[in-house]
Amino acid sequence: MTTTTLSASSTPSNGSQWAVETHGLTKRFGDNVAVNGVELLVPRGCAFGYLGPNGAGKTTLIRVLLGLTHADAGSMSLLGYPVPKHRDAALARVGAIVDEPRFHGHLTGRQNLRILAAAREPAARARIEPSLERVGILHRADDRVSKYSMGMRQRLGVAACLIGDPQLLILDEPMNGLDPAGMHEMRDMILSLVAEGRTVVLSSHLLDEVERTCDAVAIVDRGKIIRQGPISELLAGASLALHVECSEPDRARALLDATTIGGAIEVGQLGLGITLPAGTARDVIAEINRVLVEGGIAVYRLQQIQASLESWFLQVTSRLGASE
Amino acid sequence: MTTTSDDDAAAGSAPVAARRVGASRDRRGSGVPTWSMITTRFMELRKRRGLMVALMLVTIGIPTVFLVIRLLLHGFAPHSYGPAGGYSIFTGLVSGVLYVFGFIVAATLGATAGSIDLTEGMFRHLVVTGRSRLAIYVARIPAGLAIIVPLVAVGFTIVCAVCVFAAPTRLNFDGVNVPVNLSRAGLATWAADHPDEVICDFSFRIGPSSPIAPAANSVPCGNGPNNGPRIVKGGPGPQAQPQATPAQIREAARLIADQDYSDYARQFLYPSTSLMVRSGLWLELEAVIGFVVGLGLGSLIGQRTVAVIIMIVLEVILTPILSRARIPHLSNLQRAVVGLATAHLTPGGLPVIGGGGGGPGGNGGNHALLPESTTVAVCVILAWLIGWTILGAWRMMTRDT
Repeated sequence: MTTTTLSASSTPSNGSQWAVETHGLTKRFGDNVAVNGVELLVPRGCAFGYLGPNGAGKTTLIRVLLGLTHADAGSMSLLGYPVPKHRDAALARVGAIVDEPRFHGHLTGRQNLRILAAAREPAARARIEPSLERVGILHRADDRVSKYSMGMRQRLGVAACLIGDPQLLILDEPMNGLDPAGMHEMRDMILSLVAEGRTVVLSSHLLDEVERTCDAVAIVDRGKIIRQGPISELLAGASLALHVECSEPDRARALLDATTIGGAIEVGQLGLGITLPAGTARDVIAEINRVLVEGGIAVYRLQQIQASLESWFLQVTSRLGASE
Repeated sequence: MTTTSDDDAAAGSAPVAARRVGASRDRRGSGVPTWSMITTRFMELRKRRGLMVALMLVTIGIPTVFLVIRLLLHGFAPHSYGPAGGYSIFTGLVSGVLYVFGFIVAATLGATAGSIDLTEGMFRHLVVTGRSRLAIYVARIPAGLAIIVPLVAVGFTIVCAVCVFAAPTRLNFDGVNVPVNLSRAGLATWAADHPDEVICDFSFRIGPSSPIAPAANSVPCGNGPNNGPRIVKGGPGPQAQPQATPAQIREAARLIADQDYSDYARQFLYPSTSLMVRSGLWLELEAVIGFVVGLGLGSLIGQRTVAVIIMIVLEVILTPILSRARIPHLSNLQRAVVGLATAHLTPGGLPVIGGGGGGPGGNGGNHALLPESTTVAVCVILAWLIGWTILGAWRMMTRDT
């Protein structure tokens, strides 16, 4: 991607520390509660991941926030502006892609942006060129959008966000359709936007991308937010996984079962997989090693598996599912 | 809708001054569209090549092709084919082609403008800008009219030009070439000079004691009974009449000319400037109605094809039926049909649409229409324009997307 040619707006912040704030936000479709009393706090100036399995209500929440559909209950604000009361003022500094970005196929990328710029403030038109350049499609700006690939339409969608010089970007699955290089560029661009002081809310099912890009996340399942906070803090609460490569795995398991170490032990061909509860002290790892060695088991390797957002996500969502 | 206060979430964190800056800087919440919104919407519609070609073919192409064929035929075989233009061609094209097709074309453009943002996914992008949905809707009206009004005007101008400049040089009245623009006395004088043509070809009505009868029956027209006059209405029969003198025959021709003068006075070689102006405005009114109703319907339904089909059914099937049928207890409802209202505003000199024919004389078929005063017709048209605009805008403002 090209270097930054846009800068964060100099419009003074209105003082709220939250870019997005919702309280008890609810949206129903008949008997189906798509958004269920959501309490969401997105701090300003960070990349925020919004995660959830398919049908969890991610896109519905975004649509409610943007005024694309009405909430049934609750309150919300964007950049400190209560929505929908001050929707126009709030959205003036918000850029968003919801679902797959679609445009008038018979128009060029530049012409599509002109239509959107016309709906924004007069200065938006001057931002069309830099926005196209920033997302890397300036050379195709005068081609008709019907000839664009999915990835190019994604980039055009981001350019459409940027012409508003947004303080808050809400991107719904922005990596869809991008090749690996494109994903890398998109990740860099999101990070550069955050570095400019903007807030980026990233809804994605690509947990690895979210983990690499975002500072904080919220996990939504069945319309409810079940966890939110900085990724580092959330992962600290994840269970501890160990891989033990050893001789006689079955006897090794029997030795450990006889202790009070606890946790779940799985026997493999090469050794054991041990999952310990979150918050387990590091001394327990040394204790496992001692028990095995003193029991005559040859320990070839003992490795702590770093908890990933993906494994944590699966733990959290499946645990919730199991409890209901 | 949210049940708790919108202000609660901000908890006073949105200073009033900051709100004012954001909200008033570009009047984004206003329902009035900006000039650039209108021009870009115009661009979006104009760039639809397929639609534009179709619109031009119907509004300009059909009358142009028709007139060109007539010009060529008349040019190569002037004795077999009449002039391309003229009054009757003008009235036929205006009321038979431009009126109906202009409405359908305008409705198609309106339905496209009203639904295409939704179907092509741009509506979300536009809403997310924070711009008032009402302004987004309203911007389509001048943008669409800036396309359809000139298109109709161009097609109509071509018809006017050909009808004026390729008009016949002599007036053909009841099959007789008659000088144009004669006064009553002038026509009588001309008739006295051409008694055989007048008596044989002009329509006239005579009674048993009419002074015309002996003269009329003594002129050998060649195709009447006993070589009598071809058209005799209520006449006593030729065999009882004595042979008329030339003076009596000339006098009979004068009387017939005097009888037919009111019909003759409505015959023109080409349409008058006044008729052309009024017809042009009337066609534009019809196009504006078609566009605004199509826009509202397209926005309400959210798709173009169904909206266009409904509009065509309304214009081509329902309106002619409801304009002429006498349905007990439903006449006031029938009067609410916009096509009936515009038919009642047909300029004098044009055949009335849906009125069961008529003719160059104008208003000939008006009697077949359900009666409606001009005031009611104007009110019905305004109600349709305002009503469909409100409906379309309401749907756009409340639509989930």
